[in-house]
Amino acid sequence: MDIFLQKIAQILEVDSINADDDLKSFSQWDSLAVLSVIAMLDADYGVNLRATDLQQAQSASALWSIVQTRKAA
Amino acid sequence: MNFTFRNKRISGMLAVVPARELKFLDEMKNFNAPEGRSRKLMETMGYDRRRLVEDGVCVSDLAVFGLQQLFDRGLLKKDEIDALILVTQTPDHLLPPTTNIIQGRLGLGKDVLCLDISQGCAGFVVGLIEAFMLLEQEEVRKVVLINSDVLSRKASPKDRNIYPLIGDAAAITILERDPKPSVIHATVKMDGARNETLIIPAGGMRLPCTPETAQLVDVGDNNLRAKDHLYMDGSGVFNFVQTEVPGVIEEVLKRSGTPIESVDYFLCHQPNRFMLQKLADKMKVPHSKMPNNVVERFGNSSGATVPIAIMINLAEKARGSGFLACLSGFGVGLTWSSMLTRVEQLAFCEMIDFA
Repeated sequence: MDIFLQKIAQILEVDSINADDDLKSFSQWDSLAVLSVIAMLDADYGVNLRATDLQQAQSASALWSIVQTRKAA
Repeated sequence: MNFTFRNKRISGMLAVVPARELKFLDEMKNFNAPEGRSRKLMETMGYDRRRLVEDGVCVSDLAVFGLQQLFDRGLLKKDEIDALILVTQTPDHLLPPTTNIIQGRLGLGKDVLCLDISQGCAGFVVGLIEAFMLLEQEEVRKVVLINSDVLSRKASPKDRNIYPLIGDAAAITILERDPKPSVIHATVKMDGARNETLIIPAGGMRLPCTPETAQLVDVGDNNLRAKDHLYMDGSGVFNFVQTEVPGVIEEVLKRSGTPIESVDYFLCHQPNRFMLQKLADKMKVPHSKMPNNVVERFGNSSGATVPIAIMINLAEKARGSGFLACLSGFGVGLTWSSMLTRVEQLAFCEMIDFA
């Protein structure tokens, strides 16, 4: 999950993020960031999420659990 | 649906782009978003310069301008055209068909079949399929396919999701019989259940334009858009391309028995650089085989981007001994398409400015 957090931090253009940080609290969390996360999840984790799926995730760790659930499915 | 065509070919291509060029850096101030994020958008998506029509310029204006050039330069004769196909989402009028307007303005013969097709970013392959089907008719010698849109006129200048990527253009492609034996495979797939992924809600019979539909609404992320404007679910389109397009390309490769390495170029619709790089990565195709530089120079001009990608990257080869091309489009409908064909010995393959 550390690598995952790093990837999210990179997209948000910050040095690091915590697992329970609210993604929407970052000013860089816009449609471009959402698309970048979707692309990253597709390329690196083989998971296809929609923007609405991402909006449901309050925090990075919540997003991580969605990714795990989808990967298992 | 799968298609196989024998002894047909593309024999020439001309694109018409408006002379008016807008630069993304100059446009950034029009968006309510922080400048840093607009810069990030520019770097990621590959936005730089694009071509837009002046107010009031229509698809038929671009098409007539291009065809007249071909007549004047002796590259095409009026009396050898048996059919005119126009693929557009931005016709001059709800009716009559824009092809009839073009026919009338150019004084083409009454035996010319005029067909408008409502398709967009997947429309180059869809148009080629229609043209090749017409060429199965004995009496049809040459078909003129026009892919043209002036979508900048239907995009909200205050919508950072769509406005900076749109370009206007017309691509004219000439199709005829191939004197030597050749086979072309194509596949088109559609999913109308996702028809709202790309939509202009108002302006048809379901929701006619009114002062209300022209009202700009804050749709989030500091973007303003009206129901008269083009809407695109950006991440929905991204997912659609990543999940569906590789399959439709594999389909034509499989049916023709062509290993992916044997394809010289993958000439795909050009939504932005980002999406094409991700598509190439997903298909394990080197970026050099899948050009992605149309948007940064001309913008996304819907069905005209595949011809433009050929013109700006491969014109000399296309006029010479040629290459094996996998063409692919994807967009409104939703529609996704692919075609495996050689592109060679074109009589012309160039772009001109509309002025």
